[in-house]
Amino acid sequence: MRSVGQIKPVAAYLLAGLIMIYASYSMPRLLPGDFVTAMYSSSHVTLTADQEKEIRAYYSRQEGFGHYLSDLLTFNWGYSYAFLTPINDLILEALPWTLLLMGGAHVIAMLFGFIAGVETAWRRGGCLEKAGVGSMTVLEGMPEIATGVALLLIFALNLGWFPASGAETAYAVHSPMAWARDLARHLVLPLSSLVLAYFPGNFLLTRGSMIMVLREQFVQTARAKGLPPARVRYAHAARNALLPMVTRFGLRIAFMVTGALVVETIYSYPGLGTLLFNAIAVRDLPLIQGIVLFSSLMVLFVNLALEYVYGWIDPRVSHAS
Amino acid sequence: MTGMGLALVLFFLVLLGPPFAPHDPNDMSFRPMSPPSTENWLGVNDGGMDIFSELLYGMRNTVGFGLLAGLVSLLLGVVVGLAGAWFGGVLDQITMRLADILLAIPAVMILIMTAALFRPSPVTLALILSIMLWPTTAKGIRAQALVVKNRLHIHAARKMGASGAYIIARHLLPELFPLYLIGFATKARIAMFMEASLAFLGLFDPSRKSLGIMISYALKYYYLDIWWNWLLPPIFLLTLLIMTVTFLAISLEKVFDPRLKEAL
Repeated sequence: MRSVGQIKPVAAYLLAGLIMIYASYSMPRLLPGDFVTAMYSSSHVTLTADQEKEIRAYYSRQEGFGHYLSDLLTFNWGYSYAFLTPINDLILEALPWTLLLMGGAHVIAMLFGFIAGVETAWRRGGCLEKAGVGSMTVLEGMPEIATGVALLLIFALNLGWFPASGAETAYAVHSPMAWARDLARHLVLPLSSLVLAYFPGNFLLTRGSMIMVLREQFVQTARAKGLPPARVRYAHAARNALLPMVTRFGLRIAFMVTGALVVETIYSYPGLGTLLFNAIAVRDLPLIQGIVLFSSLMVLFVNLALEYVYGWIDPRVSHAS
Repeated sequence: MTGMGLALVLFFLVLLGPPFAPHDPNDMSFRPMSPPSTENWLGVNDGGMDIFSELLYGMRNTVGFGLLAGLVSLLLGVVVGLAGAWFGGVLDQITMRLADILLAIPAVMILIMTAALFRPSPVTLALILSIMLWPTTAKGIRAQALVVKNRLHIHAARKMGASGAYIIARHLLPELFPLYLIGFATKARIAMFMEASLAFLGLFDPSRKSLGIMISYALKYYYLDIWWNWLLPPIFLLTLLIMTVTFLAISLEKVFDPRLKEAL
């Protein structure tokens, strides 16, 4: 999205954010019948009479949207009766794990995918390349569920190299170094599943754009100038291939989130994914809403940040308007 | 690549045509967790249901969801894209802004929230997903339609008195055909993945068979020997399904975009 005669990106994202928040606010109130029975009747949570009165009072207060917004901003997100903790505590506790897993996977996949794509495009026509591209195309079709389960079965179950669940060994007391190593050990499998799912796309995309970029005249000029090949590859050609990858990341991030959620559940990694899974299992609606809203706002925020990253990477974009 | 994609597709059409499942998947009368036998080709799950029948029904549900969402989002995208390109002006501006906003909203989240709160039927969920997916197709079609609209033969047709409807039906619609196929393949792939993930998370009716829910249940018992026949088949089939559609989309792109042919 560019701000050329259309909606400015910031405005679109803000509007989308408001729509999400409003949907989150109005949906429980749209449930037929009494809020409390509608929300908690199918849930495994049984409420005491006091708690019921509290919830009823909360939802029948005609405070409206403004108050909901201010509640959101002050981190007053409600209370989960299934887990008996305030929702913001639950979410903020799970968030760092998810960021570690997802963020790490994306960074690694983008870095390696990019470098692999550039190098492969530079050395065209080997048999290694054909095999590589073929296998990557196949791998791209595998959803995160499949890679996650496959790695779990092979490495955790059959070979026993890595632990099958959790982010750290339960009840263990470690020194900081040992703790970091423990974290890393638990992180390997989920991270690898995600990286395997993200890497092929980045690789193929970078390779495709690099092949087209390498035909440009400025590349020939750079080579003719006698610049070292690495510099030609990266400083000159690769920068142009960077933009499609970043664009693709922005477009796909919303769907990548589901993949990450599923992988977290498979490995019982204590991030937002497992939290959501457990919340759905006990049908704790406020918690589900909280997680969904929070993740959507995160995604929106990332997309918005990406808009500015485009401008930084490719100056032609910011000068387009 | 094209050949492989098409072959896989045919394989699928054959397999999921009639649900010739040997048993009713909801029939819980078998001994739970038994290994494959002549009666239960893939064994029995922990609830006593035949895995093979579950698989067939689940596959049908997943593919059905994907096709429905793909089709409806394609239709919406085509209609909106063509209308915007042809009529221009206020209609175009409004639809494009709407598309921008819809693009910004993460589709998954709306689906999860709606599914958790309202528990709608899968058809409704597929339709909601289509509402989130049409903007990408609409933008692509609108861009291409604008290009075609300014070509000489359209000008000629207009000068000769053809009405808007005629030109759209006779010229624009058929010429944009490649875009439809590619758009459909992409959307269907996303929709199938969404269906599996939503089922995995447990957001559908538990009695509805789906590959995702089978995987979710099977995962609880992954450390038992039963993972061979319970966990692997749905994963394998899901991967196969998504890979088929992905290959289709790639081959279609290769066929219809000559620039990419040399690059791939």
